[in-house]
Amino acid sequence: MPVLLALAAAALIAADTVTPLDPLRAFGSAVYGGLEDAASAGVRWASGAGRLEDLERENARLRAELLAVRRATPSPAEGNGYQVVSAHAVGFGRDGTVTIDAGSGAGVAPDMTVFDGDGLVGRVLRTGPGTATVQLATASGASVGARLEGSREVGLVTGVPEHGLLRLGLLNPSADVKPGDRVVTLGSRDLRPFVPDVPIGTVITVEPAPDALTRTALVRPFARFTALENVTVVLGPLPDTGPDTQAVTDPAAETPTTQQQPDKKPEKKSKKKKKKKKDSSGHAEGA
Amino acid sequence: MRAVILSVLLVLAAPVLQVTVVNGWSLPGGVPDIVLICVIALAPTLWSFTGSYTGSRTGAGAGALLGFAAGLAADVAPPADHTIGRLALVLCLAGWVSTRIPADDGAGRRVAGAAVVALCASFAGGVLAALLDGTPWAAALAPGAIAWTTGGAALVTAGLALLPRRRSFGRVPASRPWYARGGRRA
Repeated sequence: MPVLLALAAAALIAADTVTPLDPLRAFGSAVYGGLEDAASAGVRWASGAGRLEDLERENARLRAELLAVRRATPSPAEGNGYQVVSAHAVGFGRDGTVTIDAGSGAGVAPDMTVFDGDGLVGRVLRTGPGTATVQLATASGASVGARLEGSREVGLVTGVPEHGLLRLGLLNPSADVKPGDRVVTLGSRDLRPFVPDVPIGTVITVEPAPDALTRTALVRPFARFTALENVTVVLGPLPDTGPDTQAVTDPAAETPTTQQQPDKKPEKKSKKKKKKKKDSSGHAEGA
Repeated sequence: MRAVILSVLLVLAAPVLQVTVVNGWSLPGGVPDIVLICVIALAPTLWSFTGSYTGSRTGAGAGALLGFAAGLAADVAPPADHTIGRLALVLCLAGWVSTRIPADDGAGRRVAGAAVVALCASFAGGVLAALLDGTPWAAALAPGAIAWTTGGAALVTAGLALLPRRRSFGRVPASRPWYARGGRRA
């Protein structure tokens, strides 16, 4: 019996290494996510924080607005703000991950930006029905596109997990970087996995490497990863009501008319294609 | 039977406690592994209970099964992001070895045995983490976390070993399990 079980465990390891056992993880998220959520909610309720939920939600929205306003290069195509959801960190893992109590039920999906009042927290790794797993920026496998806030130099931030610090590698080896410089996210296309200009941390030491291909520096993150409480998840851009974005109507609204008038179908399709092209080129300019 | 069900429930709830409460503690050097402590402390009692009815061989299997279940639960409980089966393997072996410690030994020997098993299991778990999931060695084999786990396992085992003795001062109905009858298997 013990030998059989040990073999079963070894088989699981082998299977998960070859093809990730995602159904098993989804099951774990569903069952243990709910339990963790309940346990954490119980602890919070016991400490009298239950009435703060509304304020927390409002706070999350305001933080997101602040973040959108802070953006140095406003592009009208991406709307005026972000659609966000607030969450609590309910579980802390040992693999540089945390559980938050907002899942696919709240619209959270993999590769969404997570931040808190101090700065960047990380990105969503996978979701369960009521919870999501977030990979912290300090995790050993994490990397975040970043830039220096002042000089706009571009680089990559990776985790140094044992010290809770981050390492910034700048693409320009002769970049001017000094302790005290602020590092912010570079931002990705379609806002995933990272929205631009979220503060990450400050440079504390610049590593001397004269003949390296990149310039590296150690960065102290703003977010306190060991004491996370309220976090905000960016779901996407706000559905904008401005005249610019209304020109690009969504395809779902168009389908009823095309079904009623089948002879006009080809024309509409070509129009849609044109719009899509415009849209993507606009994104490329913004990025 | 109550002891078995209670042990299984405790061990399956341990990952929740670990993730929501214990990992939030800011202890110097790291935090204890509650799941491992639970398995090491509960597996011997499981052996003694099932062993008294069915013989010791099934009992050893029950300890391994307890560890396997706990490990698999800890492998899939949400924030975990490592190879599934890693903790199941370590905890299965830890549960099995724990049942080899005879429950009618003295409390001191049982506590020492639990501490040794906890130390070896933490070490093996750290090595597997570094090899399978690329965890940095310094984080995988944090001496502080291993020390807390070893100390915790010794403490909980000592608590379980002393608890029945205190109970045995009172009247002991014959329907009570072995540990209420003076710490010796009937």
